[in-house]
Amino acid sequence: MSRMLQIICFIAVMVCLLSAGGKVYHTATPLKIIYPDYFGNRIMIPADNPTTSEGVYLGRMLFYEKALSANNKISCATCHQQSLAFTDGKAFSAGVDGTLQPRNTMSLANLLWVRHFFWDGRATSLEMQAATPLTNTHEMGQSLEVSANKLQKRYTPLFRNAFGSDSITGDKIVKALAQFERTLVSANSNYDKYLRGEYQPTASELHGIALFYSSPEPTRHSRGAGCGHCHGGPKTFSDLFHNNGLDIIPKDAGREKITGQAYDSGRFRVVLLRNIALTAPYMHDGRFTTLEEVVAHYNEHVAQSNTLSPFLQGNSNSVNGTSLDLNSQEKRDLIAFLHMLTDSSFIRDKRFSNPFLN
Amino acid sequence: MLSRQATAQENPAKPFLKVSGEVTTPLTLYADDITKMQHSTVIMKDRDGKEHSYTGVAIQDILERAGVTTGKQLRGENLTKYLMVKCADGYEVLFSLAELDSSFTDRKVILADKTEGAPLPNGKGPFRLVVPGEKKPARSSFQVTEFVVKFAKE
Ligand code: HEC
Ligand code: HEC
Repeated sequence: MSRMLQIICFIAVMVCLLSAGGKVYHTATPLKIIYPDYFGNRIMIPADNPTTSEGVYLGRMLFYEKALSANNKISCATCHQQSLAFTDGKAFSAGVDGTLQPRNTMSLANLLWVRHFFWDGRATSLEMQAATPLTNTHEMGQSLEVSANKLQKRYTPLFRNAFGSDSITGDKIVKALAQFERTLVSANSNYDKYLRGEYQPTASELHGIALFYSSPEPTRHSRGAGCGHCHGGPKTFSDLFHNNGLDIIPKDAGREKITGQAYDSGRFRVVLLRNIALTAPYMHDGRFTTLEEVVAHYNEHVAQSNTLSPFLQGNSNSVNGTSLDLNSQEKRDLIAFLHMLTDSSFIRDKRFSNPFLN
Repeated sequence: MLSRQATAQENPAKPFLKVSGEVTTPLTLYADDITKMQHSTVIMKDRDGKEHSYTGVAIQDILERAGVTTGKQLRGENLTKYLMVKCADGYEVLFSLAELDSSFTDRKVILADKTEGAPLPNGKGPFRLVVPGEKKPARSSFQVTEFVVKFAKE
């Protein structure tokens, strides 16, 4: 090859690279997710999916987009409704084919701190998680490829703004959904206002807070409900799996289905209690319809088994007692605290609402 | 996912300890493998306020078997390595390697498979970390499933 030709080839290659590069290296606007210091910074944002305003906006559209389901009738928001802190009030929600889900729909808030998603912790990122409802035949029932095709044209500009190229792929769909979900921060309940010194709790609420965080120690005359061991701290959840005594022999083995280990039988994730007054029915199978029933469970009906959490064994406010033994006033106070966790601005926040309605 | 239920319940998996990260030989140790290793006994005060005896394998022995930098090699940048201990319920606790090394400390942290001569009780076994000499037993974690050795990133 002559020297001249070599140079021409070189220039041609560079021009191609640069023009392609111009499309790839776009500048979506980085978005900083705001949250209180007391949540800590152990957050999960994968390096290959930074949060941007454009990505979050696209994710919000997709969260409410019915074209992502096989019959064009359901979206994520069908089961995860904002007014109910992203639940739907049902024990089991129906998917595209009318089949009920095997577990209760989870509320969505403060997912930025979660490391194991689902009741059994089987997904390790929101990106991974989102692919499940999208493609499961009994949920939205459509492959990511078909979804990507159905979004062509209508969504091209939004994908270009968010990811810098016109191509719409399954990978980008789950990334945008995850970006939106990370912004769902609930931190404006009366409990938060109390933590920030902006709200004076009632006597009953204060007593409820104390009971929630204290362990029962009858020999020291110190009463408690011992909830804080598992649901403790302002986040009200922990990335831990426990058997909270729902059954002697669980119908749903929970974490055991993932690990195959007998010691995980009946273990489920310690889920968050924020907005709990809005997210009935409760537990992985929606067995309790009220918070009164939940408290009665912990107080009187904890089922003994080999895998019952050690934190729920020998937990009593009476010396040698076999149950928690809270009195009726204490139960009411504990429930008053649970109501403090309702964040009415979160469920009305315009940033999280259906964009097709405004 | 859900179809694994039947197999898991009929044929539960054998518990094991996985060792990974900054190791030369990643390990998967089953109860049988642990039984064959050298055991020693330590005394620790438990949550009940009483002293109990625990028998198991020194953490240092397990780390050496995986080729983690211990003893003479534990110097320089290796002193910025940590061991993350992970448990079945998701609980995690952290140690700097020097805390577990006999060239730094006389305290022997073990992975116990027996207490008072018997297997560990339900919910705590088959393997429990036992850290003697701490005011609370919060790092003596139950149902240990994984050791991960890493460099601290700061
Ligand atoms: C048919 C109802 C239904 C639809 C539609 C649905 N979900 Fe869910 N969602 C559920 C159920 C049920 C669970 C719990 C499943 C389990 O644990 O096995 C869940 C769990 C989740 C979780 C886990 C939360 C946590 O704390 O671990 C996230 C995140 C989530 N859904 C997001 C989405 C997104 C994003 C979409 C749309 C792509 C979606 N869901 C569509 C019912 C639904
Ligand atoms: C041993 C750990 C542990 C303790 C202690 C504990 N919980 Fe739970 N909690 C869990 C787990 C695990 C779940 C999910 C269980 C399931 O669905 O199978 C749960 C679920 C709940 C739910 C339902 C959440 C939902 O979205 O459906 C409520 C409400 C609740 N707990 C309140 C309490 C209260 C009040 C206390 C104190 C009396 C308490 N918990 C003590 C582990 C614990």
